Amino acid sequence: MRDNLIITRAAELDALAVFRGFIAQTCKQLGIADDVSFQLQLACDEAATNVIQHGYEGMNPGSIMLELQPGPKKITMLLTDFGHPFEPVETEAPDVDALLNDRPTTGFGLYFIYQTMNDVSYFTDERGNHLVLTKNL
Amino acid sequence: MELNTTAKGDVRVVAVNGNLDALTAPELADALSTQLRQGNAKLVADLTGLEYTSSAGLRVLLNAAKEARSKGGDLRFAGVQTNVKKVLDLSGFMSIIKSFPDADSAVASYA
Amino acid sequence: MFRALRLKQESPKVVPEPKPLTIQEWLGDAQFPLGIRTINALPYDAKQRFYRTLVPPELLGRLGINPILWRGNGYQLELYAPEDSGKVNISLNNPEDPSDAYFVLELQDNSTNGIDLNLILLNDPFAEKFGIELDEQGTKTHWGTITRNLREEERAMRAGLAPAQVRAGMGMAREVLHQLDVFLALCARQAVSLEPLTYASAWIFERRGFAYVRGHKLMDQIHREFQPGGALRAALDGSTPFRSPEAWQTVRGRAWAIHDGILEHIGERWRDLRMIKVVGKHAAAQTFPDAKY
Repeated sequence: MRDNLIITRAAELDALAVFRGFIAQTCKQLGIADDVSFQLQLACDEAATNVIQHGYEGMNPGSIMLELQPGPKKITMLLTDFGHPFEPVETEAPDVDALLNDRPTTGFGLYFIYQTMNDVSYFTDERGNHLVLTKNL
Repeated sequence: MELNTTAKGDVRVVAVNGNLDALTAPELADALSTQLRQGNAKLVADLTGLEYTSSAGLRVLLNAAKEARSKGGDLRFAGVQTNVKKVLDLSGFMSIIKSFPDADSAVASYA
Repeated sequence: MFRALRLKQESPKVVPEPKPLTIQEWLGDAQFPLGIRTINALPYDAKQRFYRTLVPPELLGRLGINPILWRGNGYQLELYAPEDSGKVNISLNNPEDPSDAYFVLELQDNSTNGIDLNLILLNDPFAEKFGIELDEQGTKTHWGTITRNLREEERAMRAGLAPAQVRAGMGMAREVLHQLDVFLALCARQAVSLEPLTYASAWIFERRGFAYVRGHKLMDQIHREFQPGGALRAALDGSTPFRSPEAWQTVRGRAWAIHDGILEHIGERWRDLRMIKVVGKHAAAQTFPDAKY
């Protein structure tokens, strides 16, 4: 049986490079195109950064788990943490002109996730907070 | 990530090598703001050796460009690689930042 | 417009409030998550059927105990699961001395309606017992967390035990945690949480697939500081029997040094760690790579 494609690290910024490396290596083994691998790395990086910088505020950080679930037509990337849950809010898409001219706008992190992934969902249950990112192959 | 800053006349070239993410971006922010503080507002970010950036790296570059322009200078890119270009395109960055194939032509553009 | 994620101000309940169910509710939905309080509201025999899954039959067989009756060979398992309570405690004690526990497993509904593993204890009845749970004045030490019996602790350490262990273990942590996964699945539950008492227990739970709700960073920091040049490595100065210079090499050695308060050298204490196991999933966390126990 194949090994679980799962890696768990403390929610610290040095996990970002470890996660990107894990995705790159796994995609290579699975024969997934470099472009898709890159998009998964970017989406994971942005999502994990958000959790690391905000999700564990006020406590000694716990884990952040990255799991890849490859299927025949898509690959699912699951990021789980056990910190404070987030909630979705409707907001303006960021644009560089606005940022350059000091107009308030959110960052690019989540925007990149939506731009690179085919499906994005977020929920919290007894297993933790889950961000489920799906990319069609 | 590794940074290397060189002077070409009144232009400062900051070569960025490796990966830019939320861990490494603050170091680049320091290097760029040091130049700006010293009155060097004509900046080139030489990205020939930059393999990857997340939005954390973009934010640093955007802030530096903003500040350089407010001081009468600019931040221009040189040698942008494939994956970095993808991120810049996603953000719409390429429409507001001047980009050149290499550091020499980016430096020359200030003349 | 797009949807961004903003931090929520309150922790949500992870499953509905555990409460007694009607027979229709029991029969109606196999996916409905059961809490300990829900099971405790059942008649004694019905709840015993549920809780039986928590005790590995191998463990009982090894001691000559009937796995259905929960008694035999002079032993008797106790089930404490009062109605109106969100806590269940299963224990097997020394027939001669009820305060001497061989096996204890305690689960409890927690404040977000998740399930906590309060206590898991697996002592080999045939192994030597160390008196670490009473200090030299006869006061309870609460596994050495309130006061300590240094003489007995040192003997226990030299005999190869970890802090808070009264006897050598039965070597059945894997089986018990497997049964726990089975029990949780039976209850349509997906995870269990706990607070590791010692560094050694955190490491054992990590090896069995737990991740950290809090304290993963602390575990990484401990590992780093036990490396050459680290503050904990430097603090292994032999000033007490629990701080021998070799203690960094093993899980148990580190655990005893931490139990002895060595974390003060990095401005920390062993507290507020919390771990979680997702049913059917091994997190593969690794805070002490290539560890020797």
